Amino acid sequence: MTAEITIENASLRFRIYRNPSPGLKESVIRSFSKNKSAQSVIEFDALKNINLSIYGGTRLGIVGLNGAGKSTLLKMIVGIYPPQVGRIHVHGKITPMIELGTGFDYELSGRENIYLNGALLGRSYKQMKQLEAEITDFSELAEMIDLPIKYYSSGMLGRLAFSIGAIVDPDILLLDEIFAAGDAHFVQKSVNRLREIFSTSQIVMLVSHDLEQIKDLCNKVMVLHKGSIVKIGEPKEMIDYYLKEIVHFEHNANLAHAHT
Amino acid sequence: MPQPETTIESKNIIPAVETSDKPVADVSFVSPFHDEISGNAVSIMALPHKENFFVYIWRTVNELRYVKFALASFVVNSLRRRYQRSVLGFAWSLLNPLLMMIVLTTVFSLIFKRDPKTYGIFIFTGMLPWTFISESIAAGCSSITSAENFMKKVYIPKIFFPLVTVSTEVINFSLGLVSMIALALLFGLQLHWTILLLPIAIAITFFFTFGLSLALAVGTVYFRDIAHFVRVILTCFFYLIPIVYPLSAVPEKYVGFFQANPFSHFINLYRQIIYYGNLPTGQEWLNPILLAIASLCLGFFILRQKEKDIIFRL
Repeated sequence: MTAEITIENASLRFRIYRNPSPGLKESVIRSFSKNKSAQSVIEFDALKNINLSIYGGTRLGIVGLNGAGKSTLLKMIVGIYPPQVGRIHVHGKITPMIELGTGFDYELSGRENIYLNGALLGRSYKQMKQLEAEITDFSELAEMIDLPIKYYSSGMLGRLAFSIGAIVDPDILLLDEIFAAGDAHFVQKSVNRLREIFSTSQIVMLVSHDLEQIKDLCNKVMVLHKGSIVKIGEPKEMIDYYLKEIVHFEHNANLAHAHT
Repeated sequence: MPQPETTIESKNIIPAVETSDKPVADVSFVSPFHDEISGNAVSIMALPHKENFFVYIWRTVNELRYVKFALASFVVNSLRRRYQRSVLGFAWSLLNPLLMMIVLTTVFSLIFKRDPKTYGIFIFTGMLPWTFISESIAAGCSSITSAENFMKKVYIPKIFFPLVTVSTEVINFSLGLVSMIALALLFGLQLHWTILLLPIAIAITFFFTFGLSLALAVGTVYFRDIAHFVRVILTCFFYLIPIVYPLSAVPEKYVGFFQANPFSHFINLYRQIIYYGNLPTGQEWLNPILLAIASLCLGFFILRQKEKDIIFRL
């Protein structure tokens, strides 16, 4: 089966409420007031008119400034944020590594958290049963695995979280700023592991600010700016473009702003 | 002042890498889960074509099979957490209602001068279902809002968290019923064969409570006050439902009002089955069933209206 992601004309608009849930009193008052601007809603387009087709074999790096919509794009593909316009078509099993350690319950043991976290990533009990030993091995936490994770150090937690996320065999891998945690030895091991899943997954989308890493791992790069796709192309060319046209430009604009 | 030569906004935006000329299969699924069984691709669409309400319910419920392990994990963990580190552990599920019953029986048999043995069971048959319904609804209200951190990090169907809450409570409730039956046997009270109907009664109550919790959970996303408001309302209902007193103690002219209360139909079901040992009449079955269906429809209706917007309002 070949994996494929098609995004047609998708736009995602966030509405930011000064007061996220207005409460009954305010909304009653508001419904009587004529001044609709009192609604204190700021709207902004997180993603504008995204058209994108990604086929098997693509290792797509995504670069852009903070707030360009990189993570939002990944979250939209996973289904967390449904677009208000357009459609997304995904063919293949997605493994998101967007936020590691989602749903970790500090009162539960490492082993129980492996199951819980795996369940949240959409895996079945059977799959987790098969993967459990491998995850424990990889995290090198075998002797602590039955202790509540509140006794783990932050490095250990990071190792556990990474291991759960990384011991998979995905069709589509979405990575958002995933840094290996732990000591130098574990970092090296994690980097190797990431390379491994990179080569076995059919599609990889990698969001990173580490441009060297992107150049190294990706065969296509997409430049996102203010919610729009600016360019897509060869990694080296795109990264040069990004540095020259966007980073440099923003930098100058900031300087100009600072001087006035 | 160095003036930038070009502004990014004015640049032409190149729309796509490789524009797909393949037709995209028009699937009616709106779920982002990949269908592993049939290997079908799955689409997320901005606006699903107007689908029938019952098709919507079917699809939403069907989506749960992708998260059934997560559902089980959450329910088990929340039960486990409740009694974690206590010496008696799960025994508290059984002990809690027992102690509660002793307190209530002592107090009310002194006030109402009833035989404490049978009166205990009488209170219990009202108290247990009521605790289940009210706890589920109270906790259900904030089930979606308090799960913000999960919903923004992984994709979970919106009905997941209300379902976890009500499922956890229904298991607690069932354990409570077991402990009550054990007690009744211990006191040498006669039990009737009708308690075999309990699973059906539990199922009906479960669906009723779930529908209501779902509707309120979605509502709470928009009006956080609902969660507080509901607690007050539930306290009122506790006294409006014949739980600690029998319906016969209510003055004649108010009986109709008390019977119109939707919750009392459920309490009555348990009372008939356990306390009186009567087979509930057709009407006594029909009322709760209709209420359960209405509640489910309400829950799914509100969910359908707001499903795609909830995440933006958390």
